[in-house]
Amino acid sequence: MKELVVENLSKVYFDPRLGERVTALDGVSLRITPGEFVAVAGPSGCGKTTLLNLIAGFLEPTSGRILLDGREIDGPGPDRGVVFQSYALFPWKTVLENVAFGPRMRGLPRAECEARARRWLELVGLGHVANRYPRELSGGMQQRVGVVRALANEPEILLMDEPFAAVDAQTRMTLQEELARIFEERRPTIFFITHDVNEAVFLADRVLVLSKGRLREEIPVPIPRPRRWAALVENDSFKALVGRVLQAVRTA
Amino acid sequence: MRSANRSDGRDGLPAFFWAAAPFVVLILLWQLVVELFDVSPLVFPSVPAVLRAGLDGLADGSLAAHVGASLLRVATGTALAVLVAVPLGMAMGTQRGIAAFFTPLLRFFSVLAGIAWIPIATLWFGYGFGAIVFVIFNAVFFVVTYNTVLGVSTIPIELRRAAASLGAARLAIVREVLLPGALPNIVTGIRTGLGFAWRGLIAAEMIATSTGLGYMLFLARDFYRTEVIVLGMILVGAIWLALDRLLLAPLERRTIERWGLVRPT
Ligand SMILES: Nc1ncnc2c1ncn2[C@@H]1O[C@H](COP(=O)(O)OP(=O)(O)OP(=O)(O)O)[C@@H](O)[C@H]1O
Ligand SMILES: [Mg+2]
Repeated sequence: MKELVVENLSKVYFDPRLGERVTALDGVSLRITPGEFVAVAGPSGCGKTTLLNLIAGFLEPTSGRILLDGREIDGPGPDRGVVFQSYALFPWKTVLENVAFGPRMRGLPRAECEARARRWLELVGLGHVANRYPRELSGGMQQRVGVVRALANEPEILLMDEPFAAVDAQTRMTLQEELARIFEERRPTIFFITHDVNEAVFLADRVLVLSKGRLREEIPVPIPRPRRWAALVENDSFKALVGRVLQAVRTA
Repeated sequence: MRSANRSDGRDGLPAFFWAAAPFVVLILLWQLVVELFDVSPLVFPSVPAVLRAGLDGLADGSLAAHVGASLLRVATGTALAVLVAVPLGMAMGTQRGIAAFFTPLLRFFSVLAGIAWIPIATLWFGYGFGAIVFVIFNAVFFVVTYNTVLGVSTIPIELRRAAASLGAARLAIVREVLLPGALPNIVTGIRTGLGFAWRGLIAAEMIATSTGLGYMLFLARDFYRTEVIVLGMILVGAIWLALDRLLLAPLERRTIERWGLVRPT
């Protein structure tokens, strides 16, 4: 079982414009067990992206440790798949080549990479755009590709930094339901960052509230799955939980 | 994109006509002045004289030899320059230390790029192919290096990070992300560099060789063959225009369309 453990993690930036040090993360500890969906919510600038970038290995911590399966992480790696807010699809590769990229980097035979990529694209209803280029797709479709590209590489944990923040509200709800469905069917481990409290409660098993670089509160979400918006918008326990998280974010 | 292609084909001929028209006017005016003032061929040739010089050169093969020699030098120098500049640009674009070391050097030497190297080049390589290829190399190398660095810096950091977290090793990131992402800039650099190289080539050939377009121009001066001089000048301009319009510009446009991070408008 591959568990992600974050121990007493701090990150201090030097801001050359202000000429001073900025503490973005201040002694954060957390633990994510396999098959768990954990969301981090918090106001802008509280350190969410910093936390995710540290776990992804894009940044080095100032102090503290990050362990995956008991081993300290060292730079980015295919055991931690990342979904970016800006999609970050390779514009010179087709949708299929984008999704097949991870398996190909792992040295799998070309035919198998493509077959796997095709299976994943069909799972999110994108089989028909496999040979298109990303720029020919809508934002919502591009982010579906972004999610599937990370999943097709079978990471131990999926790291998502406000992946649905750049699409319109309607598409966002569809994407959230799709992600919920994929999670219910396959139980990947997901670490999801958002400033949208509704999104956090809808998706996660557990919501962590981050503020000024510290974890303030941890709110379990015991709403049964499958979760769909139609059933949850009027659900009292959903609304109560959203209220609780919102309260925590605002007073933190 | 599709509609742009269609209109390209339709506008192709009129566009060429409008570009050629001023030259036709210029040539007519030139012949008129030569006839009207009875200009001596020692000062400036008539249009028929230049045409005859061109036909003679074609007939005895000397024209093809000169043009061929010039093009071969440009192709060799450019190819060598790109082979060195792109890896160096990649290294500078990714390693802060390498960039810090080479940037001031490149800035200094880019001022010297071109014919300032001819004296030392002829000492090193003697008169001929090597010295001129070296001058071309210098003209192309700095621009392509600079544009490669620029191209790498325009690639969003997320693309590199995405590749790394999908399991791409260092070299794979260069091959799969940095090279394709910087390609439009690299091609632009080659086009600009070739423009410098072509000008430098003519100058270098006047000094450091015994064949090529520049040499043909310079030699004709010694024999007061103004029709050969003017023929050479026309060829220098015409070959570059053809090269740039028919080969480099379309190549650049296609690269941007196919590989560009932002769509051309
Ligand atoms: N490279 C950097 N250099 C200096 N300061 C930085 C850098 N990156 C982030 N910061 C600062 O660190 C703090 C946390 O930033 P971070 O991007 O992690 O916040 P966030 O919670 O993701 O915000 P948002 O919701 O706006 O995305 C902010 O004060 C930010 O200004
Ligand atoms: Mg952020």
